[in-house]
Amino acid sequence: MVDCARIQKELVDCNKDKGISGISVTLDGDEFTHLTGTITGPVGTPYEGGIFQIDIQMPGEYPFEPPKMRFLTKVWHPNISSQNGAICLDILKDQWSPALTLKTALLSLQALLSAPEPGDPQDAVVAQQYLRDYPTFAGTARYWTETFAKRSSMGIEEKVQKLVEMGFPDVLVRKTLEIVGGDENMALEKLCTG
Amino acid sequence: MQPEEKLAGEEVEYQTCDPGFTTTDWATFRDDDIMQQHNAIQAEEAVKKPYVSDKERNIIFLMQEPLSVLSEEYQSGSPILLEKIQVLSESYAAIRRTRGDGNCFFRSFMFSYLEHILESQDKAEVDRITANIEQCKKTLQSLGYADFTFEDFFALFLEQLENVLQGNESSISHEDLVQRSRDQSVSDYVVMFFRFVTSGEIRRRSEFFEPFILGLSNTTVEQFCKTSVEPMGEESDHVHIIALSDALGVPIRVMYLDRSSCDAEGVSVNHHDFIPTVGDVQNTTSKGVSDFVKPFITLLYRPGHYDILYPKQSGKQY
Repeated sequence: MVDCARIQKELVDCNKDKGISGISVTLDGDEFTHLTGTITGPVGTPYEGGIFQIDIQMPGEYPFEPPKMRFLTKVWHPNISSQNGAICLDILKDQWSPALTLKTALLSLQALLSAPEPGDPQDAVVAQQYLRDYPTFAGTARYWTETFAKRSSMGIEEKVQKLVEMGFPDVLVRKTLEIVGGDENMALEKLCTG
Repeated sequence: MQPEEKLAGEEVEYQTCDPGFTTTDWATFRDDDIMQQHNAIQAEEAVKKPYVSDKERNIIFLMQEPLSVLSEEYQSGSPILLEKIQVLSESYAAIRRTRGDGNCFFRSFMFSYLEHILESQDKAEVDRITANIEQCKKTLQSLGYADFTFEDFFALFLEQLENVLQGNESSISHEDLVQRSRDQSVSDYVVMFFRFVTSGEIRRRSEFFEPFILGLSNTTVEQFCKTSVEPMGEESDHVHIIALSDALGVPIRVMYLDRSSCDAEGVSVNHHDFIPTVGDVQNTTSKGVSDFVKPFITLLYRPGHYDILYPKQSGKQY
């Protein structure tokens, strides 16, 4: 049986300062078993400007069992599966404690975006890239943020189409957009100069 | 809009690394799968634990057993241990074994303390510890813990404390106490209550605990509390015992049953009394601190595990 009273309190606690923390949680329907968390990408990281949604399943044993979290928004990060959003973070597994909350867990995810731990990867490919070729990693992560985590921004395909219409080859346009992290103007500049 | 397709050209390893990864794995590869696997391994380990039958394996507390069960356990084991058990049996009559799930120290402490109150009906002690618990609550608040994270655990322990005092409608018998302590939903809440109290005490006096913690795990006080105190199932060390004993003002005796060598005088069993730091004993009564220094809780420590020991009623104290 899910401890609704506690989850209710957590929702209030989490959402009261969402403007500052960049973290919020909403109920998915009427059940207290399924929630959606939102975190903003930390400033100064390839995730800056992104809004990331996290699927949260509350186990019946909560708070003794950790909430089950997974990124709904696709993200390029050594500790998050680029395939299914699964997260490698100790506090969501054996280091969970009832002293932690949904808010502290989401704050930890935000911290994880700031400080990846490639030594303990969830996604080996991303981790390898992070360690061997950081610039490409950062470019890809920015591109994914731009593409998947910015709801208001123009879709990447539209940008590609616009640049292709200007006369640049499709493959080159896509590659350049990725390098500059999806910024259309920067891509145009690079295409013109390069 | 499929960047993976585009990336596929560059990330050739991508496909080769996860050959079995298809979109159907999306919902099946989850943290809880890993945890379930982890639990399965733990359950498997528990089966390997000798001398505890299948039926008993998952019971949080067993019934009180005569100390002779220990000799039976070690019959084919080290002669030193058998001799030590012999020495122990001069002062102790019985043992109550607890489940080896990493919470055994806290569970043993819980049962032993509540049992002591049930049998002694020491209302002064209940008042004293209640005041300490109030202080622990304030400590956690001042450390920045949100009330809702700990209040349920505190309330549940205070309820148990009230229930073991007789003469109320809610009073419980010894048998009820055993049943309740075996009930995971009660037992785990109380364990978590103690973990909060322990963590709060360590953080509050972080300068005092820092050298101990550095010696144990080479981490910061903050990190130690997060990884070794607050999560369920994390085993207790002397740091935990000192902190809990100090915070609640309850002395604890630990008898050590290990292979440590003995002097020429003969076999003896090492023990350590954890006596609450005087300055931290709240509500010291006019009768003085000496009232506190005789532990009424005795635990038996075997490497990695704590059980409860019962002294012989009329026999000399060890």
